[in-house]
Amino acid sequence: MKGRIPLARRNLTADRRRLLASVTGVGLAVMLILLLDGMWAGIKNQTRLYTDKAGADLYVLQPGLRDLHDGGVIPVVDVDQIRATAGVDWAEGVRGSHIILELHGTKLGPYLVGSNPGSPGGAWSISDGRTVRADDEIVLDSVMANRHGIRVGDQIDVMDTSFKVVGLSSDTSGFMTSYVFTTHAATDRLFAASGTTSYVLVGASDAIAVRDRLQTAGFNTLTADEVAASAEDVASGIFSGPLRLMVIVAFAAGTLIIALTAYTAIVERRREYGIVKALGAQRIRLVGMAVTQTLIFALLGLLSGVLLFLGGRKVIVAARPQFDIAFSSGAFGRAAAAALAMALIAAIVPARRLAKLDPATAYRGS
Amino acid sequence: MAHVLPRSTRRRVPLARRALFQDRRRAALAAGGVAAALLLVLLLDGIVAGGMRQVTAYLRSTPADVIVSQEGVKTMHMSVSSLPAGVVEEVRAVNGVAWAEGLHFASTSIASSQGRELSYVFGYDPGGRLGPRRLAEGRAPAAGEALVDGVAADRIGVGVGDAVIVFGEPFTISGLFDDGTSMINTTTFITAADYVRLRGPSVAYVFAGAEPGTPDDALVERIASTLPSATVQTRDRFVREEAAIVGDMAADLMQIMSIVGFLIALAVIGLTLFTLTLSKLREHAVMKALGSRNRGVGAVVLTQAVWSVGIALALATVLAILIGGLVGRADPSLLVTIEASSVLRAGIGALVVGALGSIVPLRRVFRVDPATAFRRAS
Repeated sequence: MKGRIPLARRNLTADRRRLLASVTGVGLAVMLILLLDGMWAGIKNQTRLYTDKAGADLYVLQPGLRDLHDGGVIPVVDVDQIRATAGVDWAEGVRGSHIILELHGTKLGPYLVGSNPGSPGGAWSISDGRTVRADDEIVLDSVMANRHGIRVGDQIDVMDTSFKVVGLSSDTSGFMTSYVFTTHAATDRLFAASGTTSYVLVGASDAIAVRDRLQTAGFNTLTADEVAASAEDVASGIFSGPLRLMVIVAFAAGTLIIALTAYTAIVERRREYGIVKALGAQRIRLVGMAVTQTLIFALLGLLSGVLLFLGGRKVIVAARPQFDIAFSSGAFGRAAAAALAMALIAAIVPARRLAKLDPATAYRGS
Repeated sequence: MAHVLPRSTRRRVPLARRALFQDRRRAALAAGGVAAALLLVLLLDGIVAGGMRQVTAYLRSTPADVIVSQEGVKTMHMSVSSLPAGVVEEVRAVNGVAWAEGLHFASTSIASSQGRELSYVFGYDPGGRLGPRRLAEGRAPAAGEALVDGVAADRIGVGVGDAVIVFGEPFTISGLFDDGTSMINTTTFITAADYVRLRGPSVAYVFAGAEPGTPDDALVERIASTLPSATVQTRDRFVREEAAIVGDMAADLMQIMSIVGFLIALAVIGLTLFTLTLSKLREHAVMKALGSRNRGVGAVVLTQAVWSVGIALALATVLAILIGGLVGRADPSLLVTIEASSVLRAGIGALVVGALGSIVPLRRVFRVDPATAFRRAS
């Protein structure tokens, strides 16, 4: 009989409960890597939310600023000048600012958008109720509202000013912040900032030509893509460090679990491996067995990780709908590469143990 | 039955510990696996705690006892506050107020040709009390000048004497200061006069110091009765409100990461104890044959769980502190603060996980037949 006995595989599958615990552990580490990857992709998607949905081709910002969250101030009179520029189909001043809402003892930091009723810039999708018409009305993100049991018709306080909730918006929730909408005039009063706006949304069929004209006229004009890219840069600066750190730790956990399981399996069967060595198996074959075992773990861990991720994502999104957790072939590729790297690093300890194994072990009692 | 052995030799053999550490490599891998899982929880907790310290750093550094803000505004981060300029004089006139200064504030970005940073911009009186605690280089700003945090200045490639764009206008950097950059944004100081020129006269907050012998709470009440349409808080209360923003906004993320971290720890502890129990079944049978009850053999498994969790927690704590230090050096804006309360929470969670991980091995040792001890090993 010439066929090789799959020692590595048989050794691993000898104890199924242990295998299950190990694969679950590695799977959880892979799942965490996928979750963090997915959350990061979701954060990036959400940074584009306003520019993707508001329908503007161009944004006029205060000189020197590049982001809607930069707290710009533009005189309202500029809006008329922008509107009168050749090629501009429409232009609307919008006030945007983060605010702190306190609901049920919890602080939330939504982004408050103040726009003129019936004009672009306000809530883009209403799931319940209607958009704002009066200055004491507000539309809340439906995810945020549902979580705090707020319904259409309720009153809420924003900076000690009472607003009636007239609508709930969908597709307006973000990773840590959501969008809420009121009238521009309401924000004028809230922020004691009448006569100004934060930025100007511009619709133009020939956006590039209009941008050039506005810039020539002295307006700091960016395309929607430029504003979105800038927002993504800011988010990257805030979140990429912590997320990267978490991925490294998850990777270390996965590697240690694979190493622990492969090492334990090898130590428990050292007598059998001693026999293999006594029968003439070379060091490279034994090392190969260790690597094969860790690779099998990594593969099973990867598969279970993907399943755990898909299940976990459903649970998380159902419980916390503000989390947009994306999954892509790129994310799978990165997780697979991580699992492969875990397997190779994890093989070091068991491989060293096998390489140093004394063939005489085979003849000693267990 | 009377003991025939002298008292000194009747000590208990630490079976649990010896079995656990018999193979040190395995013990190290197991401790490392659980520690990595706990490290996840500790680090994330540390990042949130660090974030809280960072967002409150400026407030904690001011000598104020009481802070006044717009009605309904209790915080600075992600907040907008606007008070009439005359309110500073009104606060100053309140009985028990030793000093009061207005602070102009907006959240915006500063930029150079090499980069851009989100920034709080403070308009302040450079001769007053509301500037940065410590200058690293240069001097306080004059008209047309700005004080920039050193970390942010490095990132956007500027230094003292260079230009930085604030509110769309070029300012010359007069000095650099420390501890003004967090993972979210940095801090920039310009003169109140420049701020008013660019953003109008309203102040965002009024900081006030109490005269000696005037309790902070009493001063809050007095100022609040003078300014009924403003929010008046002690500085400590303001700091707590500010920290709560970070804590509340990160709570959901913390919950998810903690659950995943503890599940990984559970898998590793379960795996370690199960493997160890299986490999020592014969020894457990010997214990039973010698009269040990299920309680005794169960105690061995539980002791191993406690050891596993304890070592992993200690390792995770040390690693978290080390990693926090390294991260802080690599990226000074990311502060990782490992607090005793975090370690305690992680420890309690890990003990629960250890107890859960012991269930299967415990069932196994309870079912061990003492006769196994007298059978030949296969």
